[in-house]
Amino acid sequence: PFSFLQNYIGGKTITNADITKTIELLNNHLIKKNVSPEIASKITLNIQKNLLGSKTRTWESVELTAKRSLAEELQKILTPNTSIDLLHEIQLKLNSKQKNPYVISIVGVNGVGKSTNLSKLAFWLLQNNLRVLICACDTFRSGAVEQLKTHVNNLKNLSIDEKIKNQIELFEGGYGGSDLVAKIAKSAINYAKENQFDVILMDTAGRRHNDARLMAPLQSFARAANPDKIIMVGEALVGTDSVQQARNFNKAFGADRTLDFFIISKCDTVGDLIGSMVNMVYATGIPILFVGIGQTYTDLRTLSVDWAVRMLMS
Amino acid sequence: MVLADLGRRINAAVAQVTSSTTSVEEADIDTMLKEISRALLESDVNIKLVLKLRDSIKKKIVNDKTPGLNKKKLIQKTVFDELCALVDCEAQPYKPKKNQANVIMFVGLQGAGKTTTCTKLAVYYQKRNFKVGLVCADTFRAGAFDQLKQNATKARIPFFGSYTETDPVEVARIGVEKFKKQKFEIIIVDTSGRHRQEKELFKEMVEIGDAVKPQQTVMVLDGSIGQSAQQQAQAFKESSNFGAIILTKMDGEAKGGGAISAVAATKTPIIFIGTGEHTQDFETFFPKQFISKLLGIGDIQGLMEH
Ligand SMILES: Nc1nc2c(ncn2[C@@H]2O[C@H](COP(=O)(O)OP(=O)(O)OP(=O)(O)O)[C@@H](O)[C@H]2O)c(=O)[nH]1
Ligand SMILES: Nc1nc2c(ncn2[C@@H]2O[C@H](COP(=O)(O)OP(=O)(O)OP(=O)(O)O)[C@@H](O)[C@H]2O)c(=O)[nH]1
Ligand SMILES: [Mg+2]
Ligand SMILES: [Mg+2]
Repeated sequence: PFSFLQNYIGGKTITNADITKTIELLNNHLIKKNVSPEIASKITLNIQKNLLGSKTRTWESVELTAKRSLAEELQKILTPNTSIDLLHEIQLKLNSKQKNPYVISIVGVNGVGKSTNLSKLAFWLLQNNLRVLICACDTFRSGAVEQLKTHVNNLKNLSIDEKIKNQIELFEGGYGGSDLVAKIAKSAINYAKENQFDVILMDTAGRRHNDARLMAPLQSFARAANPDKIIMVGEALVGTDSVQQARNFNKAFGADRTLDFFIISKCDTVGDLIGSMVNMVYATGIPILFVGIGQTYTDLRTLSVDWAVRMLMS
Repeated sequence: MVLADLGRRINAAVAQVTSSTTSVEEADIDTMLKEISRALLESDVNIKLVLKLRDSIKKKIVNDKTPGLNKKKLIQKTVFDELCALVDCEAQPYKPKKNQANVIMFVGLQGAGKTTTCTKLAVYYQKRNFKVGLVCADTFRAGAFDQLKQNATKARIPFFGSYTETDPVEVARIGVEKFKKQKFEIIIVDTSGRHRQEKELFKEMVEIGDAVKPQQTVMVLDGSIGQSAQQQAQAFKESSNFGAIILTKMDGEAKGGGAISAVAATKTPIIFIGTGEHTQDFETFFPKQFISKLLGIGDIQGLMEH
């Protein structure tokens, strides 16, 4: 993988051409890992600076410098600089006087795994003894409501304990247009308050990030639901489009609201080609809450940045 | 479609070299190849393919000693030929025949658009007076049968599925048998999403195939898929031997390059593209036409016969 750097033998001054060559190789390496060319160039710019700084050192140190710089750079990009302790934040809100439920909305483009990973989140919250209301705000795609209904039934049946069966419920209002979505969201919040649910997970319809007609309703939805957290699900399979997907969703909620987290799904389908997570995080600065690594309820993990960097460097 | 943008960039890069008044230097060719490579990479074409294409074009151009104007023509032709080789393949897709059962099985990665596309294809054939039925052999994904059922009902296509049978092989076998008995001409079998890393899921796909013996297996690919496209497509090809590709979500900013890589890796033609969530958002795909449109030239044939 990095054997191309082995050609460098110690004791020669680095020329500009050498640096250009090294940077191109690093760029190609990142692109192989599914990092978009745009983001790859931006990342390697810093490394170029480091290489220039090592001008008088030996060839061997160039190899090390390049590798180390890249690993450090990736580590920096993927390490969240805000808290991702969601349980803690939920507890804070639940402990406050108002006793309002904690609202989480899930958004993203078509078919990335929003509904599935929402169900995984529900499982995780249940395990942490929280009462969860799932709200079917995808009123568009055929079978979207039944999909959530099935998940809620499955999650109920995971336990024979009657008490736990009451821990999760589905709130739905059938199918219809975006007026219906806002209405369902509002009713769900009232319902959750009346029935002492701790967390509401709102599923939304998949939408094309570059279609204003589809993106605009997200703003009115966010106004109606006023979510504590907006989580975008992005998939590991997607290529360069991931950059624009993340950017467009991040600015879909108006001037004073951004995304809070990403869940990167389908990480089990790409081997070490996990570059789309770099794209999305680099493009927006939004941290990764979880990664999806399969299709069952337990296939949700906190991202190990060390692991990710190792995959990207391999 | 963003592919048009790719075409523009490649054209511009070629024009830069071929329209200059001075003779072509190696450095000019390098600049051109660099720009072409970058445009392809930004469209998600597999990087190994891009590097191979770059070397191959360069070798052909540099080794050729044709002077002046003809040299420029050669450059143009070489670039076009190599790009054509990427998207075009000689393999002819299966053509369903009337008055007999044509079983079409859908396979693909999770969330690619299989279930949605099943109904689109069903409607396409129904409009052409085939008797079409849909079979839901996805017993895994929550709500999969409801999804297919609602789509089929809206489009008035007969469908088969089960809420109780958990074995997709059984559902597929029973559904196809039932439609065959009733003299259906096109029987489309939807299956659940899977990926090459899960051996069991691939085994299941092979078993469904053995049970329904499809005349045509279609791989549905998301148009925005990145560098994993080639490996996944290759694995699907080995296990399911699909004979056609349908590319979905081409209404977005999907670059389609991943799919181009899948075509190159599997020598399998793209037959339709999906351009939206609604049933009518569906277009036939002709590679030759597509390339000439991509490269912004009307008469690609003329160019190729020089
Ligand atoms: N392998 C794998 N598959 C996943 C993962 N997450 C979701 N999926 C699969 O991806 C497919 C689509 O998932 P959904 O949850 O329906 O996606 P969605 O974003 O809600 O789709 P729409 O609502 O139609 O936009 C399903 O087959 C899921 O099982 C993951 O982490 N790994
Ligand atoms: N914009 C757009 N969306 C599409 C297109 N085709 C499918 N979709 C959407 O993509 C999402 C996933 O489609 P499905 O048909 O459920 O995908 P699938 O391959 O059957 O998914 P699994 O069965 O879970 O593997 C849905 O939200 C569809 O509406 C398309 O051409 N354009
Ligand atoms: Mg969904
Ligand atoms: Mg499906």
